[in-house]
Amino acid sequence: MNAERLREGLASLGLDGTVEARGSLAIVTLADERPLDDETRLAAVALAREHGFSHVALELTGGTDHGAAVHRD
Amino acid sequence: MGGAGDYVSPMPDTVSPVQLARAREKERQLAEWLRAQGSVLLGFSGGVDSAYLGCVAVDALGPSNTLAVIGRSPSYPEEQWATARQVAELAGLPVLEIDTHELQDPRYLANPANRCYFCKTELWARLAAVARERDIATILDGMNADDLADYRPGAQAARELGVRSPLAELGLTKAEIRLLSHERGLPTWDKPSSPCLSSRVPYGTPVTIARLREVETAERALRELGITGDLRVRYHGELARVELSREELSLWLQPARREALRRAVCAAGFTRVAIDLHGFRSGSLNILGGVYAA
Repeated sequence: MNAERLREGLASLGLDGTVEARGSLAIVTLADERPLDDETRLAAVALAREHGFSHVALELTGGTDHGAAVHRD
Repeated sequence: MGGAGDYVSPMPDTVSPVQLARAREKERQLAEWLRAQGSVLLGFSGGVDSAYLGCVAVDALGPSNTLAVIGRSPSYPEEQWATARQVAELAGLPVLEIDTHELQDPRYLANPANRCYFCKTELWARLAAVARERDIATILDGMNADDLADYRPGAQAARELGVRSPLAELGLTKAEIRLLSHERGLPTWDKPSSPCLSSRVPYGTPVTIARLREVETAERALRELGITGDLRVRYHGELARVELSREELSLWLQPARREALRRAVCAAGFTRVAIDLHGFRSGSLNILGGVYAA
């Protein structure tokens, strides 16, 4: 599992934010509350798999008040 | 139950005449198999599989030779029992309700990968005692042919206690059971699967009643938001990972909707909420824990 590589890959899809690894679960927090269409969602799932994660989930950060990425490292 | 005129909604239009004929032939074999048993006791949850099996059993054997037993415990949501009773009444199935105590078993509470083995051992041992008392020949579960592909230690407990799985033994798939349930006018034909709440807790994380209630409350809140179809709130400590059907996923990933979902889940006690981008997967925590069918 490589959270940093996944974070970089997601950024290349236009999904800037942070990735927290919990075993083979990747928790993604986006820098902004952008819409996620099906194509981008599936690309994110494929990318996560490519980097060793069986699951990838988008954290809901609580709207505009809490929309910024949260650093956990 | 009703016949072809009692459809609860239109027939699925993707079913070919060949598939339908094959499913009906399996149902004929199932009825024959049930008649050969003489009398049956069915572990009954009111879900798609046990509702269908109970319905065929009562048709084949009559109510005096069929008993559906509901094993109640805190590891299932309260609504489940109400639904099971309604379905049994609709199908004309005699029902007995008993309490099971897997949540008093430390081996179950430790939540190992074979947790279901301890739960089902408790359930089937109690049902076997009922069958003995009432001189019922055969104990049945609702396992279907598709279930054989998943990791199911509970099935081992069933085998050890002599429980038979006629749906699986006769090759009836979930799709066929839904189709045949639809033909019988059973309201369960399109019901999502609803495994126990402990299945939301990753293996190795102890199961507690408080955690189960947290998951149950969150799932109920999401249903109240109007979410339909397959839904799971997976427990990851302070974080809830929500799995939705593909249709609901597209809807709830819209920024305007995310906040309502987050608030609903947080009100149940979680402090962080994440939507799984793959969507609902049966046995999701088996995959996460690297546990697969043998």
